[in-house]
Amino acid sequence: MSVLQAASIGLQKRFGRQRLRKILLGSIPFAVLLVMWQMNTSMEWLPPVYIPPIGTIWEAIYTLSEGCAGAGAVLSMQYECLFTNHILSSLGRVGLSLVIGIPSGIALGVLAGMSRRFAHALEPIGVFANAISGIAWVPLAIVWFGTGWLTTLFILLNTVFWLIFFNTLLGVRGVPRVYENSVMTMGGNRWAIITQVYIPGALPSIVTGVRMSMGFGWRALIAAEMIGGDSGLGFMIFVSAAEYKIEEVFLGVLVIAIMWMITDRLLLIPLERWTIQRWGMVWRPD
Amino acid sequence: MPAKLVVEGLSHHYPDEYTGEDVHALDRVSLSVEDGEFSAVVGPSGCGKTTLLNILAGLLPHTEGSVQVDGKEVGGPGPDRGVVFQEHAILPWRTVARNIGHGLEIQGVARSEREQRVQEFVDLVGLSGFEDRYPHELSGGMKQRCALARTLCANPVVMLMDEPFAAVDAQTRITLQEELNRIAIATKKTILFITHNVDEAAFLGDRCFIFSRRPGKLKATVKINVPREKRIWKDLLSEKAYTDPRDEILRLVREEVFDDEE
Ligand SMILES: Nc1ncnc2c1ncn2[C@@H]1O[C@H](COP(=O)(O)OP(=O)(O)OP(=O)(O)O)[C@@H](O)[C@H]1O
Ligand SMILES: [Mg+2]
Repeated sequence: MSVLQAASIGLQKRFGRQRLRKILLGSIPFAVLLVMWQMNTSMEWLPPVYIPPIGTIWEAIYTLSEGCAGAGAVLSMQYECLFTNHILSSLGRVGLSLVIGIPSGIALGVLAGMSRRFAHALEPIGVFANAISGIAWVPLAIVWFGTGWLTTLFILLNTVFWLIFFNTLLGVRGVPRVYENSVMTMGGNRWAIITQVYIPGALPSIVTGVRMSMGFGWRALIAAEMIGGDSGLGFMIFVSAAEYKIEEVFLGVLVIAIMWMITDRLLLIPLERWTIQRWGMVWRPD
Repeated sequence: MPAKLVVEGLSHHYPDEYTGEDVHALDRVSLSVEDGEFSAVVGPSGCGKTTLLNILAGLLPHTEGSVQVDGKEVGGPGPDRGVVFQEHAILPWRTVARNIGHGLEIQGVARSEREQRVQEFVDLVGLSGFEDRYPHELSGGMKQRCALARTLCANPVVMLMDEPFAAVDAQTRITLQEELNRIAIATKKTILFITHNVDEAAFLGDRCFIFSRRPGKLKATVKINVPREKRIWKDLLSEKAYTDPRDEILRLVREEVFDDEE
């Protein structure tokens, strides 16, 4: 048996035939892109000022991390660790916006979902705010908060909060009344109904809201960092482009996409699998 | 001993927002269910059976007449009245065991005692081995057993059941009816069971209340004098003590349905 065969059997055992095939198929377009990229460099189709050699991307990481020594320096965000600092500050903003936006969006969404009065009060302003959420706020946010943390966080929160609010609201409205009635007849109070019926019942919709808000939020953040930020991956791309450091621009773009794929695959999809798929509330993919 | 459930002069109107015309659903209904008695309510579709159940459960407020459980006037939902809904009332996000223990959890019963009681009812309804499954992994009959166990486990004073077996196939229904009879004997519960299946009502009930078509009035009460221990389908079909009252109920219900079609 050749080494290749053994490796393929090992991989199949580890992932399963179906999943392995899925991963392989999904990798094909990326492989094609990489090959074309490499060919461009060796054949010199487009000059390196437009498309830098793959190797220079790695070098850019080193250049941007010069003087940054070890994990301790990275985590304490020392000034020299430019590259990781940009990543961490973008991630930090996303994290903070989720920590604030998810609970508040769910709380108000549930209130509006269960009370007509709340819904009448909050829905119009929600529609209004949703229409302008995203980068349309950037110029105004810069006037109000200057460039930096507050502006980018404001843009993100505006996207995250309203999406989660609306998805929760619709989710709660869609929970069959009989669940609520059955908990009430067992003596459950309002709080029991909120935590044991409305929130789990609205979870398919809430998870959709979180995924949407991460997707839109991440994009809005990059845009906000470009125009109104003083750090982060968006800022890094913008500054690098202004200085014609094309390999840093490429690096930034790649990292943005990879970070998103990691969050989606490692965080959101498993979250879905362990809750609403387990409960049979959505169709399983595959 | 006073009756467990007493309904007196109960009427109900649904307002209609669009036409402004009221729907008169119940008309001066009076009935009572004794301690440990199994009562069945039969009547044509739309006669107000679900309305009656919702009022008894406290899910629908009543304005005319009175409803008393254990001598106390009903003023909202409460754990003294357990309800088995027609379908899908067990929570999809809870396992079988956690659904069955839900009432005890709400009552604040300690975990160890709760688990013990849950196991008792899991066994009683024949769901052993499925404790950690989620409802979507159960068959329709198993879901109904789970719903029944959940309501029983919370130990209500009165059980209210709204056509619980309407959505399962005929074979499963027969099994569930015999099981419910056995469980009712074992737990000595006071039960009000709604159905529009005449055989089912006569098989399960000590007494059957027959309702007229809308507005629902109590039209007649029929007693079935077969000891509950002797109620097994294969024996009962040739038993006059069962077939006579069943035919009587059938006749009473038919009158309502035919009147409706004229
Ligand atoms: N929420 C409501 N608003 C207005 N009218 C209603 C409402 N619920 C029921 N009704 C009307 O009241 C009448 C009685 O309804 P109910 O559901 O109690 O009948 P039922 O006896 O349970 O019928 P079925 O056997 O078909 O379940 C029906 O005519 C129905 O249209
Ligand atoms: Mg009904």
